[in-house]
Amino acid sequence: MDFQFSPEIEQVLKEVRAFIKAEATQEMLEETYELGPLYGGPEGRKFIQKFAARGWLTPNWPREYGGLESSAMLSFAIKEEMYLAKIHMSFVAAAMAGPTIMHFGSEEMKKEWLPPIARGEIEFALGYTEPQAGSDLSAIRLRGDDKGDHFVLNGQKTFNTTTHVADYHWLAVRTDPESKRHKGLSMMIVDLKSPGITIRPLITLAGWRTNEVYYDDVVVPKKNLVGEAGKGFYYLMAALDFERMFPLAAYATIFNDIVQYAKETFVNGQPLSKNPLIRQKLAEMEIEIEVNKLLYYNLAYMIDKGQIPNYQASMQKVFATEVAQRIMNTGMEILGLFGQLKKGSKRAALAGKIERHYRSSVVETIYAGTSEIQRNIIALRGLGLPAS
Amino acid sequence: MDYDLSEEQKLIKDTAHKFLAKACPSEYVREMAEDKKGFTQEIWDEMADMGWMSLLIPEEYGGFGGKFLDLAVLLSEMGYYRLPGPFFSTAVLGGLTLMQAANDAQKAEFLPDLASGKRIFTLAWTETDGLYTPEGLKMPARQRGDEYVLSGTKLFVPDAHVADLIICVARTEETGNPAEGLSLFLVDATAAGLSVNELDTMAGDKQHELIFNQVVVPGDRLMGRQGNAWQIMKKILLMAAVAKCAEMIGGGERVMELVLPWIKERVQFGRPVGSFQAVHHHCANMLTYLDTFKYLTYQTAWRISEGLAFEKDAAMCKAWASDSYRKLVALGHQAIGGIGFMEEHDLQLYFKHAKTSELMFGDADFHRELVACEMGL
Repeated sequence: MDFQFSPEIEQVLKEVRAFIKAEATQEMLEETYELGPLYGGPEGRKFIQKFAARGWLTPNWPREYGGLESSAMLSFAIKEEMYLAKIHMSFVAAAMAGPTIMHFGSEEMKKEWLPPIARGEIEFALGYTEPQAGSDLSAIRLRGDDKGDHFVLNGQKTFNTTTHVADYHWLAVRTDPESKRHKGLSMMIVDLKSPGITIRPLITLAGWRTNEVYYDDVVVPKKNLVGEAGKGFYYLMAALDFERMFPLAAYATIFNDIVQYAKETFVNGQPLSKNPLIRQKLAEMEIEIEVNKLLYYNLAYMIDKGQIPNYQASMQKVFATEVAQRIMNTGMEILGLFGQLKKGSKRAALAGKIERHYRSSVVETIYAGTSEIQRNIIALRGLGLPAS
Repeated sequence: MDYDLSEEQKLIKDTAHKFLAKACPSEYVREMAEDKKGFTQEIWDEMADMGWMSLLIPEEYGGFGGKFLDLAVLLSEMGYYRLPGPFFSTAVLGGLTLMQAANDAQKAEFLPDLASGKRIFTLAWTETDGLYTPEGLKMPARQRGDEYVLSGTKLFVPDAHVADLIICVARTEETGNPAEGLSLFLVDATAAGLSVNELDTMAGDKQHELIFNQVVVPGDRLMGRQGNAWQIMKKILLMAAVAKCAEMIGGGERVMELVLPWIKERVQFGRPVGSFQAVHHHCANMLTYLDTFKYLTYQTAWRISEGLAFEKDAAMCKAWASDSYRKLVALGHQAIGGIGFMEEHDLQLYFKHAKTSELMFGDADFHRELVACEMGL
């Protein structure tokens, strides 16, 4: 056993820190804070491309596609480091679509899509959920009619969060209209600027935007079909496995702010951090953050050993997201009445950060597979219990 | 990073697993809970032959010179089988304290016998306040010429009824700061004035009240510098806590094995109980408790082995394991149902183990407070 990074990884992390210091401008950080995804604005896009030029967006990809042929461990470590610097490192193209193309796509498709993804030039938005297909993605209906050299798409997606700022839609489509459930779904890449696509905002209780996307006779060339037609559900599940890794570091940095606040805020002549109840709560969070780190890096360790994390990925997702909510709730408890004050309000504590992320944290245990779905996976795949 | 055991550690684990499967079935555990002595000499001798007591002891004292992580692996198997007897008292409490506190002459005198299993050791720490902290340590040791006289009461002393030597902390000086003036002594179990009274415990492990009535301890049995014991004891407390967590890992693994086959077979409403989603989620949570406190324990044991700072890690570890193991067993009870509440079912052994392990060497609240201190709160 060994629970520290190799000197090579430590070296890269040092470079990453230096890079962040030099390149993460206040402008860029504020832009991201307002817009959500890093690539949502021009400053963020510039930043990603500089970052990707070092191979850090896709460190474990082969060199021919713009990677460093390094380990998953490095990839996970860079991701955590970025979140610690409050840089939102969530990429559909690099983390989900790219690996799926690499596993299942044709040579042509790999050459066309992987290098620009690795350079950070293009970003995808997920196109899975539909009004009747949430946790049960096999109920997807958006229809793709085969017209020889192209498909014509009709239907509706929902909660497709970054479609208004991303370049392409990573879309699950029912290409066989007679098919039921898992069969007859296909995965394709759609230019979000295609005629016939309408994107309508849905505003979350956290204040940020997600979208409904309507497809009316949208033409998609056949070459944008990923792998084989009819295997989309399988690709989609594989891509979800790539997605399930939650460094939690974004919340861990907020936790550090909460700790600082508790140390500096005096009530009745003594700092909040001297209150035994608050000490217990903060210590518990500190422990849970450390536990998550162990679950998180175990995934990288497994991948580098050639194993595919399955129940472990679900466990980490549940754990991290539930800890995230506990951190935010603990923050609210410690700030008390001040916790409700928004950024910019008179008397707001910690610049309203707790209020905002308390709201954001609600969705953590829902998206990318709810906690309930993850626990089903742990029970079925991890423990071999009979299906319900 | 490397989350796997080394080949050597796997060997330790396999050997222990096979040996204890034969030597320590649950009938033996039950029998020994009722037995006055609490273990059989035969098993103790076999453990000694396999070198278990010598695992941590340096080679120069007849030991194996192993790492703390090796010990953790062994303890995990002992927890799996709920091995009764004075291994923890001797190898962990006695061994660690001797190695940390004893002078060379004392090491040379006692460590070889500890390593060979010839002599049994224990550690007398808490008193009538039931506290591990210096405030709870009041028993005086008065210096009289070249010797010390100890008078007072020690409580919850494990395996004192079979110990040959009792390492005892006592107060040699009152400075106003409770962390100062504490000293460690090696006391012969046969010393005049020392009486050992059994306490009747939930888990059937042997804990005792020790009454020291003017017990005379020769000056050469003082361990380390007089008045300087707390710095060492703090370390021992944390290492013992991590060792206890290692034992809890095995217990948690065994509970999973008791629960899963049962709920796959047991039919209610025309289907296996283990096919209900409510039960799925209980079991998913059990595995999460187990995996998380296992990783945290191994990480801490690794830090101790590598000579890295481990104070905060150890406190995190004991806090998390104490809660997790208890919750794991509680969900196991829910999943198994009524039969798990029966004395004849093995789950009760682990239910009791979880609680007693939680209480030993500081519970979750105690260790979270230590974490808070380490965080600078």
